[in-house]
Amino acid sequence: MTAQDRICIGAIQGAFGVKGEVRIKSFCADPAAIGDYGLLTNEDATMSFDLRIVGPIKNGFSARIKGVQYKDQADALNGTTLWIARDALPNLPDDEYYHSDLIGLDVFDTGGEKIGRVISVHDHGAGDILEISTPKTKSNVALLPFTKAAVPTIDLATKRIIADPPEGVF
Amino acid sequence: MSRSVWKGPFVDAYVLKKAAAVRESGRNNDVIKIWSRRSTILPQFVGLTFGVYNGQKHIPVNVSEDMIGQKFGEYSPTRTYYGHAADKKAKRK
Repeated sequence: MTAQDRICIGAIQGAFGVKGEVRIKSFCADPAAIGDYGLLTNEDATMSFDLRIVGPIKNGFSARIKGVQYKDQADALNGTTLWIARDALPNLPDDEYYHSDLIGLDVFDTGGEKIGRVISVHDHGAGDILEISTPKTKSNVALLPFTKAAVPTIDLATKRIIADPPEGVF
Repeated sequence: MSRSVWKGPFVDAYVLKKAAAVRESGRNNDVIKIWSRRSTILPQFVGLTFGVYNGQKHIPVNVSEDMIGQKFGEYSPTRTYYGHAADKKAKRK
């Protein structure tokens, strides 16, 4: 399984209390959802964690991990990132995409010429925006509105986006 | 203290001109580059896309009805935080 098949959804930030609970930081859109994905692994998938959220605390959650009973065991996990398989994410309706699926896709214009590559997805409250790394602008970055007009085709199988950038993007 | 009602909403004149020009041309998908973060979003801007300057680049802002009365700058943050993608979703409109 490659790194692209797995997604980082959180991290362990050390022990919480003295009874073996850990402090969890969630990267999920809904932070509490970190407990819904079943078995989590570390970055290289050599360890797995059966996590149960106990409750919210400042900057995250307290949780219990099966097999971790003492504070020093919990402290030893400090800094461990928590990963799930991409397949564990539920399917989405049409025209909805996971950021992790969009990041890394190559962007081509309607003529077939490569424009660049998606490096991140933003939402500042006025629609989603694709940030594209491209040599076509002075700053090497372009921001493309994530609309049907500007991004008519997304092909996740071939990892390509066909874009029709409106005037003013480049 | 809030702005007096008799003055009406503040909008830089060039923003109105640029928006009107794009409306007339019928190319509503074009990104209208503006530097005026202080301008109020008016009803005639709905459906247009503005590139609002954040000090480095122009952030595309698709204006919708529920944004009327707010300022352009509210949708173009000046500090960007790159978090983890995790299970976050984007919807193509």
